[in-house]
Amino acid sequence: MSSANTGTEVGSLASRFNLQQYVVYLGFLAIFLFFAIMLRDSGFLTVRNLSNIVLQTAPVTIMAIGLVFVMSAGEIDLSIGSIVAVAALAAAVTIASYGMAAGIVAGLGAGILIGLINGALVAYVRLPSFLVTLATMGLFAGVSRSMTDLRSISVTNEIFTGFFGSGSLLGVPSLIWWTVIAIAIGHLVYRETRFGAHVLATGDNARAASVSGISVPKIRLAVLTISGGLAGLAGLLYAGRLQAAKYTLGETDLMTVIAAVIVGGTLLNGGKGSIVGALVGSLMMGMLNNGLILMGLSVSDQMIVRGLIILTAVAVSLRDKSR
Amino acid sequence: MRKALSIMTVLASLFAAHAFAAQGVTTGPNGEKPVPAASLTLTAAQEQQVKDGKFTAALVWHEMSEYTNAVNAGARDEFKRLGVEVVAQTDAGFDAARQKADVETVMAKKPSIILSLPVDPATAASVYDPARQAGVKLGFVDNCPAGYKQGTDYVTIVSDDLFQMGNKAGIAMAEALGKKGKVGYIFHDADFYVTNQRDGAFKKTIEQDYPDMKIAAEAGMADPARSEDIAQAMITQHPDLDGIYVTWAEPALSVLSALRAAGNKHTKIVTLDLNEPAALDMVKGGNIAALVADEAYSIGVTLARASAGSLVGLKAEPFYAVDSIAVTKETVKEGWKKSLNKDVPATIADAMK
Amino acid sequence: MNAPILQLQDIRKNFGGITAIENFSLEVFPGEIVALVGDNGAGKSTLVKIVSGVHPPSSGTIAIEGKPVTMSNATMGRAHGIEVVYQDLALADQQTVYMNMFLGREPLNRFGLLDRRRMIAETEKLVKELDVRIPSAHATIRDLSGGQRQGVAIARATHWASKLILLDEPTAALGVAETAKVEEIVLSLKQRNVGILIISHSLDQVFKLSDRICVLRRGKQIGVRETKKTDKNEIIAMITGLQQQ
Repeated sequence: MSSANTGTEVGSLASRFNLQQYVVYLGFLAIFLFFAIMLRDSGFLTVRNLSNIVLQTAPVTIMAIGLVFVMSAGEIDLSIGSIVAVAALAAAVTIASYGMAAGIVAGLGAGILIGLINGALVAYVRLPSFLVTLATMGLFAGVSRSMTDLRSISVTNEIFTGFFGSGSLLGVPSLIWWTVIAIAIGHLVYRETRFGAHVLATGDNARAASVSGISVPKIRLAVLTISGGLAGLAGLLYAGRLQAAKYTLGETDLMTVIAAVIVGGTLLNGGKGSIVGALVGSLMMGMLNNGLILMGLSVSDQMIVRGLIILTAVAVSLRDKSR
Repeated sequence: MRKALSIMTVLASLFAAHAFAAQGVTTGPNGEKPVPAASLTLTAAQEQQVKDGKFTAALVWHEMSEYTNAVNAGARDEFKRLGVEVVAQTDAGFDAARQKADVETVMAKKPSIILSLPVDPATAASVYDPARQAGVKLGFVDNCPAGYKQGTDYVTIVSDDLFQMGNKAGIAMAEALGKKGKVGYIFHDADFYVTNQRDGAFKKTIEQDYPDMKIAAEAGMADPARSEDIAQAMITQHPDLDGIYVTWAEPALSVLSALRAAGNKHTKIVTLDLNEPAALDMVKGGNIAALVADEAYSIGVTLARASAGSLVGLKAEPFYAVDSIAVTKETVKEGWKKSLNKDVPATIADAMK
Repeated sequence: MNAPILQLQDIRKNFGGITAIENFSLEVFPGEIVALVGDNGAGKSTLVKIVSGVHPPSSGTIAIEGKPVTMSNATMGRAHGIEVVYQDLALADQQTVYMNMFLGREPLNRFGLLDRRRMIAETEKLVKELDVRIPSAHATIRDLSGGQRQGVAIARATHWASKLILLDEPTAALGVAETAKVEEIVLSLKQRNVGILIISHSLDQVFKLSDRICVLRRGKQIGVRETKKTDKNEIIAMITGLQQQ
C-alpha cells in the first residue's frame, strides 16, 4: 500500500508542475527572446518601447482581472468593451460640467451599474451570462453611440488625465501604478480570501458550493459587478490616456482580453484561473502587437501571425486541462 | 410694374443659374484651397537628396479597406521609387486608443516620416504628439489633428477632390437618364465633411445644370444599416423615379436589392466608390449606371512625395486634391486600374466577355 | 441507552397534492448506525432532504438531542450539527482536498485572509485518523480515485458533524476493494459518538454496518428492526410488501 501511495505522490507532483500551468510564462519568455534577437536593432529592447507595451496594455490587463473572476465562477462577460466606452463618455461628459470627482464617480458608477444589471439577470432571473452580456454588449454599444451622437469628447482636466493615464508618480507612469495595484489587489482577493475561494467553488461545482452554504447567486452577481467596475476603470484609463472619450473605445478589446485570460491559464468553464497569468497573457498580447509591427509586417500578415501564435498558446494551455 | 419686376427677377435668376455649369470647390477641413495633386513634383536633385538621406517611413492607417489598400500601395510605391524604407504599417480598426498605441509603437523604429489618416481628428493631437515632438514629418490623408499647424506640425493633407466627385456623379446621372427625369437623392445625414461636400456637389449639379431633371425625393441616411428601409420607402412612395443617387457604394447595394425585390429594372443608380458587386451589376446591364471613384492610389503617391520632399526642404501646399473618374460599363477596366491601381476583379472581367 | 440524538416524530411531507412521506417516526442514538432502506421512489431522498434541512416537513417535528428544531435550508441543518455525504459527493473537482474540506467554512487568519496552514494541518490530521489514503492535503480532487474522493467527502462530514452524519449511497460508484475501505471508515465513525443514518441499496452492506434497519415503502414507514434480530428475507419482504399478503 505504501508503495502505491508513493506512486500517486509522484504522479501528483508531476501534475502540479505540468506544462499547462507555466505555458504562459514560457510562451512569454519565448516571444520576448524571439523579438529581442530579431529586433535588436529596431528599438524593441529600449526602456521606452518596453514601458510603452505595459502602458498600452494597462486597460486590457485591468479588464482581464475582472474576467478572471467571471470565468472562474463559470460565467462570461462579453459586455466589457461596451462598458469601457459608456464609462469613458460618462466620465468625460461629467468632468466637463461637474469636475473631476463627479466624473470618476460617473465613470466607475456606470461600469458598476451595468455590471449589476448583468449580474442580477444572471443570478436572479437565471439567464445564461453568455446571452445576457451578448445582449448588453449590443445595448450599451448603442447607448455609447447615442450619448454624444457619435462625437468625441475632450478631457481637459489635467489632474484627471495625469491620474488616469498620462501622468507619473515617483518617475513611474500612472498606468503602471494602476496595473501593479490592480494586479496585487486582484491576486490577493482571488487567492487569499473566502470570496475568491467561493468564486472558484461556484465555477467548479455550483451544486457543491450551494450545499456547502455558499450563496451562488450572490457570487454570480458579485463577479459580474466586479467585471463591470473594472471595465469602467479601464474606460477612465483610456479617457485619461487619450485625453478624450469616444464610442469606439474598447470596441476591439474583448477578444484580446479573452485571449489574455485563457492563455494566462484561466479555464473557460470555471473553477481554475490565475490573475498573474492574466497579466502575463495581457503583456504577451501587447508584446505581440508591438513586435509584429516593429518587424515591419503588413497589417494582414500581422493578423495572421498573431492569430497563429494565440491559437498555439491556447491549444497548449487547454490540451492538458481537457483530460 | 411690380409684376414685371418680379418676372424680370425670376428670369434673371434663371439666367444666372444656367449661365455657367455648377461651380464649386472642394475645401480642406480647415477651409484650405485645393491644389491639384498632379502639380506636386520633385526635382531630380531633390529626389537624389531623398535617396541619399536613407529615410524611413511608417504607415499608421485608421483601418484597412480596399480604399486604404490603394492609398497604402501608392505610398509604398512612391517611397520605393524615392529610396525611402517603409519600416512599419499598422491598422487601428477605427479605434483612436489603438491608433495612439500604434504611433507609440512605430516610434521605436525612429521613422523620418509617418503617413496617417486620423481616426478622430478632434482628439488626434494626443495621438500624434509623441511623433510631432520627436520631429517626425507627419503627412495626413483627408484630415488633420485639431490645433495642428500646417508647415510646422505637419506637412500636408491629401484628399479627394470632393466637389469634383459629386459633380461627376451628377453628370453621370444626367448621361444615364438622357438629361431629363426624376431623381431620388439619398445623402449621408451626418456632420462629416467628406460626404457632405460630395452629396452637396451632386445636388447642386443636377439643380443648376440640368433644367429638365428634378430631385423628386430626398432621404437622409444616418445609419448605413438602415439604408434598405430608406430605399424601400423611397421606391414605394415614388415608383416613377428614373434614377437614385446614393452617397456611397455600400448603402447603394441595399438600394439595389430593394429595387430588385420590387422588380424594378428601369431606375438607374449612381454612387461613389468602386465596389465589386456594384460594378458587376453595372457590367451586366443592371440598375447601376455609374460609379464615381477617387484616385486613391494617387493620394498615397502624393502624400509620400510631399512628405519625402519636406525632408529636403520642399514646401508643400496645405491641401492637395486628387482627381476622380466616373466609371461606367465601358470604362470599368481603366477605372479600376486608375483608382485602385489594380486589375478589375475576375468576376467582372468574366462578365464582360 | 442515552437520549436520541435525532428524533423524527410523525413526519409528513406533501408536494402539492401528492404525499411523499407520511407518519414517519425514527430515532437515532449517538454511536449508532441506522440504515434506511426501500425501493426506488419509496421516499428515501425526500427524507434525506428533510433531515438535512433542505425541505421543511409539512407536519411533524424534528428534535435534536430532545430539542425541536425548524430548518428551511442545508445551512440551518449544518448549524445543528447535521452533515450530509451526498451521493454525488458535492466536491469541487479542481480544488484541493483541504479547500474542499473547508468549503463554505474556510477559517481566516488575523488579517482576514484564508488560513491555509490551519486548513492543511487539520485536513492532514483528519485523513490520518480516518485512514483515508490520499497523496496529500494539496492534492486536487480530480486526481483522486473514487474511493479516495468518497473518503474525503466522509472526512469532511466527520469534521463538521457534531450530531449526525447522513450518508447517501456511499459506495454506489465504487469497486470491491474501495467499498471495503469506505465501509471500514464508516464503522470507525461510531467511536465519534455521532448518529449515523445511511441509505444504501446493498443489503449486504446494510447488514454489515447497521445496528438497526428502517424500511420505507411508498412514503410510509413499514417497520424498524434490530439488525441482529432480523434477516435479509424479512427485510426484502418488508421492502417489496410481500409480508402483508
